[in-house]
Amino acid sequence: MIRNRISLTVAGLLTALTFSSPTHAEPGRLLAAQCAQCHGTNGAGPGFDNIAGKSASEMFHELREMKYRTQIESIMDRQARGYTDDQLLLISTFLSTQAAGADD
Amino acid sequence: MNTFNRRQFLQMAGATSLMAAMPIKSLAAGVPARVVVVGGGFGGATLAKYLRMWGDNLEVILVDQNANHIACILSNLVVTGQLGMSRITLSYSYLKANYGVTVLQGKAVGLDPAGNKITIQTSLGLKDLSYDHLVMAPGIDFTPAPGLWDEKLTPHAWKAGAQTTLLKNQLAAMRNNDKFVMTVPKSPYRCPPGPYERACVVADYLKRKGYTGARVIVLDANSGIQAEPEAFAHAFNVTHKGMIQYIPNATVTGIDSKTRSIQTSALNVASARVLNYIPNQKAGGIVTGLPVNASGFVPVNPLTYAVQGYTNVHVIGDACAVPSSEGKAVPKSGHMANAEAKVCADAIVRLLSGDTPDTNITTNSACYSPITRSTASWLSANFNYGDIYSASGAVIGKGMHRVDMAEAPPSQVDGDSLEDMFQWADALFADSFV
Repeated sequence: MIRNRISLTVAGLLTALTFSSPTHAEPGRLLAAQCAQCHGTNGAGPGFDNIAGKSASEMFHELREMKYRTQIESIMDRQARGYTDDQLLLISTFLSTQAAGADD
Repeated sequence: MNTFNRRQFLQMAGATSLMAAMPIKSLAAGVPARVVVVGGGFGGATLAKYLRMWGDNLEVILVDQNANHIACILSNLVVTGQLGMSRITLSYSYLKANYGVTVLQGKAVGLDPAGNKITIQTSLGLKDLSYDHLVMAPGIDFTPAPGLWDEKLTPHAWKAGAQTTLLKNQLAAMRNNDKFVMTVPKSPYRCPPGPYERACVVADYLKRKGYTGARVIVLDANSGIQAEPEAFAHAFNVTHKGMIQYIPNATVTGIDSKTRSIQTSALNVASARVLNYIPNQKAGGIVTGLPVNASGFVPVNPLTYAVQGYTNVHVIGDACAVPSSEGKAVPKSGHMANAEAKVCADAIVRLLSGDTPDTNITTNSACYSPITRSTASWLSANFNYGDIYSASGAVIGKGMHRVDMAEAPPSQVDGDSLEDMFQWADALFADSFV
């Protein structure tokens, strides 16, 4: 019994620590990091359009527009094709929580 | 702080299965886990930065032979004199100041994976560094030339720096009727569009100088143009018509730097004015001893970039071979090295926390190639983790499957793309080094 209780406590603490730890990746962080090569670290520039701190729903909408556009208008119309819609939503949500860049 | 507590707690609780997954050193209370990164190009620099950004209580030591990194990206425009060397010289000082990365100038000379230790030759002698994770981002080395090649006479300029300056000076000495002869290595090699880009900007330079009869001869070891085939075919046949002689299937069989002559399976050229021999390539030297594939690159786990047979030794960037669908290889480029570094950094942070690597991962390549002094093309490619396929469509395993690739439509090979190129480079340089 005592043994079991300790095991449960260990499991409970591990769960709590895992979710409270600052090292635990926020969802979408790694996916969104793939935008940084062209849009700056955490989307905050320097680079092309500043994408940090925007509305998640607007960004998701724009990314889907690019992804499904048939006439390629820019390199982003191709890049958007590299992600599932679920991934685009994770990216948009993460970037919306990031501080906007200085030149925004 | 939580990591510290958890490590302590794990020790007390004796959670042996989790402990076994954790590096020995990081279990000692308060001692930060240490990651040693060897090679400070785009992969290594990005990895060091993101490890410090994302990790908690993590010591990161970045080892490079040079005091700063000189980027290959944009270096063809240094060859033509359009840009100065300072434009592609990237300092490690921001990694130190902004992220607390320890930078050690030296060369890795010995690896003891069983002992989790690497030996670095520094100006003060040999230094042993123990590590919890080791990441090597050594870039490329060249395979031996079939003949008498001296890079100080006939430069490759495929690692930027003194070689770039040498090629620039040789180009500047060209006059009427001189031949600029260059080779394209057998794939896979660093920066698939790079050689064709070089041919274009050199041809553009010679044309603008007004030299009569001067031309570029491209000896390609491959059967055709390896990247942006439409844009470069148009550039060779239309934009730079009469200036570029493109020869596919030209395997180099002999070279003599003193006479600036080269023999290939398709064409022999004697007395080139400039002989820009870009050799075939393999993983950089310090990974010697690790398993390599038939092309000389190190196969890695696509989720962690760990080398086969190791859990805490990783290779990223040009030196690694990422499992991918047949005919859809992950390109070797600074942009891709940056992409891989983030996946590797995230995996290491997770592994150090006793977590499992993320599987919802992507990498991408986006780049711009100047066609003339005032125009550029672009190339875009995206990879998503999942099933990878043989040429016939059979699943052959898990890896980074290329879900999209395209070059710029002809209408976008223009001045706007050239401006975009500089913006792209600024962003990539900053995301990797600042």
